[in-house]
Amino acid sequence: MVDFDATFFAHVVNFIILFAILSKFAFKPLIKVLDERSNRIVNDLDSAEKTRVEAERLKAQYTLQMEEARNEAAAIVARATQNAQTIEAEARTQAQAEKNQMISAAKQNIENEKQQAIADVRKQVIALATEIAGKVVSQKLDSPEDQALIARTADGVL
Amino acid sequence: MENAEQASKEIIHYLPQYIDFLGAHVHMQTMYMSWLTCIICIVVLVGISSRAKVIPGRAQCMLEMLVKWLCGLMEGNMGKEGRRFFASFLLTLFFYIFIANEVGLLPQVGGHLFHFTSPTNDINAVFGLAILVMVLNFLVGIYRNGLGFFSHFVKPFPLMLPLNIVEELAKPVTMSLRLFGNILAGEILLIVLYQLAPWLPPIAWIFFSLCIGFLQAFIFTMLAIVGFAPIFRHDH
Repeated sequence: MVDFDATFFAHVVNFIILFAILSKFAFKPLIKVLDERSNRIVNDLDSAEKTRVEAERLKAQYTLQMEEARNEAAAIVARATQNAQTIEAEARTQAQAEKNQMISAAKQNIENEKQQAIADVRKQVIALATEIAGKVVSQKLDSPEDQALIARTADGVL
Repeated sequence: MENAEQASKEIIHYLPQYIDFLGAHVHMQTMYMSWLTCIICIVVLVGISSRAKVIPGRAQCMLEMLVKWLCGLMEGNMGKEGRRFFASFLLTLFFYIFIANEVGLLPQVGGHLFHFTSPTNDINAVFGLAILVMVLNFLVGIYRNGLGFFSHFVKPFPLMLPLNIVEELAKPVTMSLRLFGNILAGEILLIVLYQLAPWLPPIAWIFFSLCIGFLQAFIFTMLAIVGFAPIFRHDH
């Protein structure tokens, strides 16, 4: 069993043939699959990293847009409030002015009506007094002097 | 040594399976078992590899685990270039020696006609592998580094030349004797144990021998890797 013989060469040839077969049909496809998997993992990791970076970028962008939208909304609300206040103040001023105008117009009307009423009453008093006086004195008091006298009297009464 | 050899010859009774090929003597028992080992290697490894998928099954996972482990060792010692260059050879070497070591432990169903033995219990077989590794080392070394490959014989200083030559020659001898001795001793001891106590001790020894078979395959491959490493030293 420890004699050196041609088994040495036969076995080496055997092994070389096995090496050729295994290297072509076993290890080549296996290493190919291993490389393929390793490439796929590297690619997947790369793509995941890219997606993550893209997601981060989009997130930052959306946050910025959201912040801008929020600021814009706040500005719009502030502007609207300002407008509303202005409109309210204007309306208030206008209403006040109209009220004042109406009050003064009403006052004027009242005054006019009063003057008119006084004039009417005066006219009727004069007529009445004239009539009374006429009837009382049974004479006509239709001369301008009489009328003036009566008027003075009536004014004194009134 | 002669006593052990005599003892082994007396215990393991081979059929007279020698042939003379071109005037040279070939031990056919070793060749039969070597062919059986080759067939098992081809069936198992090609069978798994030809159906290899990116998402592996159980068998593929197991094979990949071994291959990746060995490739990792190659890459650690020889760098990526060395791994690419020698991966197929070293993987073949490992799987061949591993299965060769284990076939000797198969149940002896053939009676007196046929014995399962390890081809690695023949010094010719293992010495052939060790010499192949050494020759390959020289050829690839010269192919890649030119005559500069021999510069490591005069390192760290020229006076070391004789020692380096002895070391280089001792490598295949120690590699082959270690493997051959372990496997032959394992088989002889298994038979001795079987004759002494046919039940439990041989089973325990078979388990131990299975581990030894793996370990020796690993050691042989590892020594080959370490031997090849200087060729690629500038790469890493």
